[in-house]
Amino acid sequence: MKRNLIILFFFVIVSVVIFLMTREEKEKKNLPLRFVSLAWQERSIATNLSIVKEWNDQHPDLQVEYIQGTWNSAHDYLITAFETGDVPDIFHYESSVIIDYAMRGYLTDLAPYITTEMKNDILDVAWATVTRPNGEVGGIPFLIESLVVLYNKSLFDEAGIVPPTIEKPWTWDDLRKAAITLTKDTDGNNVIDQYGAGIGLRNSANIIMNTSISFGGSFFRKEGDHFIVKVKDEEKKLLQTIVDMIYKDKSVSPASIGESGAGMIPGFFSGKYAMLVGIGSWGRQQLVENAPKDFKWGVMPPLKAKTQMYGVSTQTLSIPKKSKRTKEAMMYIDYMLSSTNTARLALDDWMIPSRKSCLEMPEFKDTIGSWDITCSAVNTLGVGSWLGAPGYVEWKSRVANPVLQELFAGRLTVDEAAKRIERESNIVLSRYKKRGEVW
Amino acid sequence: MNVKKYLSKATIHFLIIVYIVFLLFPLVWVVSSSLKSTPEIYSGSPTILPQQITFDHYISVIEGQQVFLTMWNSVIVGIVSTILVLLIAVPSAYAMVRYKSIINSGILGWILVSQIFPVILVMIPLYVLLRYMGLTDSLVGLTLIYVVWSLPFVLWMMHGYVKSIPIELEEAAVIDGANRAQVIFKVLMPLLLPAIGASALFAFISAWNEFFFAFVLMKSPALATLQVELARYTGMEGQARTGPLAAASVIATIPSIILFVFMRKWLTTGLVSGALKG
Repeated sequence: MKRNLIILFFFVIVSVVIFLMTREEKEKKNLPLRFVSLAWQERSIATNLSIVKEWNDQHPDLQVEYIQGTWNSAHDYLITAFETGDVPDIFHYESSVIIDYAMRGYLTDLAPYITTEMKNDILDVAWATVTRPNGEVGGIPFLIESLVVLYNKSLFDEAGIVPPTIEKPWTWDDLRKAAITLTKDTDGNNVIDQYGAGIGLRNSANIIMNTSISFGGSFFRKEGDHFIVKVKDEEKKLLQTIVDMIYKDKSVSPASIGESGAGMIPGFFSGKYAMLVGIGSWGRQQLVENAPKDFKWGVMPPLKAKTQMYGVSTQTLSIPKKSKRTKEAMMYIDYMLSSTNTARLALDDWMIPSRKSCLEMPEFKDTIGSWDITCSAVNTLGVGSWLGAPGYVEWKSRVANPVLQELFAGRLTVDEAAKRIERESNIVLSRYKKRGEVW
Repeated sequence: MNVKKYLSKATIHFLIIVYIVFLLFPLVWVVSSSLKSTPEIYSGSPTILPQQITFDHYISVIEGQQVFLTMWNSVIVGIVSTILVLLIAVPSAYAMVRYKSIINSGILGWILVSQIFPVILVMIPLYVLLRYMGLTDSLVGLTLIYVVWSLPFVLWMMHGYVKSIPIELEEAAVIDGANRAQVIFKVLMPLLLPAIGASALFAFISAWNEFFFAFVLMKSPALATLQVELARYTGMEGQARTGPLAAASVIATIPSIILFVFMRKWLTTGLVSGALKG
């Protein structure tokens, strides 16, 4: 009796497992393409969903399923997917991460699938963010992330400061002078309550890296077939400028040290900071939707140091190597990133579209929302030399962000920070060098 | 003496009030933010109470995303996993305490060691195993994961509780003519009710708050859990849709509050009945 029960128990277990496995096999045949999107703003999600719906209406035999991802967990989600083979067919992410995935062999090389129209229409600088030296393309760049300087028009008018124009951009010295003028104790209690500028320095590696290009720096240098980090005079000049603005001029709010760019926006609305330096162009969306009614603001053209060149990164669509429907997935990407759809996505995310044809559209030349000045920055965007450096993502979080945080908090001098960055960076990078990953 | 006693009582009350304010402040802030308009949230001069109450964020949450569906998924997964955990943990703990064997301490040690592994380390092998069984993207698979995940700790908790009950109580019941089932259900269970309540609360809250397994395992939007849904209100570089996030969070806390109110009553009843019968 007992033996029979044990046999029955195992029979039931085996039957359940076989049923579940065959069910999975049957279902696989008619599965839709899975698209993981990281859109998170209401309008942007709506546009993504609407594009998916339009595709599904036109392609009843090749449906797309929209899966909402999140920026905070996308990396862990994707790594698990790549390692287990249960991958989405298309996913949305950013260039600095997908080049790392491309090097690790997780992504389909999209170069053979890109149409001539798409290849010619997307800006070269955007392609440069996703293309390996061997010509392999890890993703299709569709939105360009650039840093802008926002300013409060009313406070500028009050102080008699004329904002820069595309033709007459400001230098960092001009910005410093204006910031000093705009720094005020408005109620006479010997406490500054209006700072010239706020800079979101909580995780400042991104701002510093992209801005360092305009100072002629880059932190990363290629030595043979691998990368090393050097903090030379050019990089030090940028760091010293910001440190001086915080501690010497006292024109940058000390609150900047612990805040993100997004976290500075309420203070910008209340007039606590006359300028927000180094915020992503998406920040304009917050201003348009959430600013008080009488709040007047503008965007400055890129600041000039040695040049006006700033580092660029892009948002991308990629196809994992383990996706079994590369051609179908690429058909959807072609559709989703058509000129019209790219423009819709860029407008709703308040970012620069990567397509030249979009930049010609009147919406992207509009003065409302400062689209004209924001999009003019495409002429001054460059690719940082750190692109493709194995270990760059880890370097940013383990070395650059913590050391820069200590520097801006006043616990290190620029020289001390430079030495620490060099020493700690090269420990991290040498680990990647041993693994033999090559850009 | 009376003054001293009065002062001591007043200090205790004051400290309790401070502690309650400290605990309640985040909740008050979330509720307040959920009722403020977006420009007011971003106004730069924050106030505890909204200047003008708006339900726009609640409407946007209810209309726009699947907060109730995901909440339902979380409730189902949480309740089923809690019941399964208790069904396994209570008899296991009893057996481990009352039936001495040389492997008991080894098993307890292993249970403790199993808690050391970080989620990310076990995620990939676990995923492969579940996929092989056809249980990824399935609430059944997620429930099993939660059972496995909270079982060791619940087993530890129950082991401690069962151990603290004197065996003499069971022996007395046996002398009075009770059989094994009567000993367990009429003597032991009433005494274990507070422990079962605490363990159930732990298991449920672990499942309710869990994010990573749910995020990685559940591919279909219809199967997402509440925590995954809430995470979707956050974006790049620490940005968040603060108003809708606050409104969704308020809605999300309602089942936990109901459960706690229910469990609190149950915990007290269990404690009292255990004491009377013991």
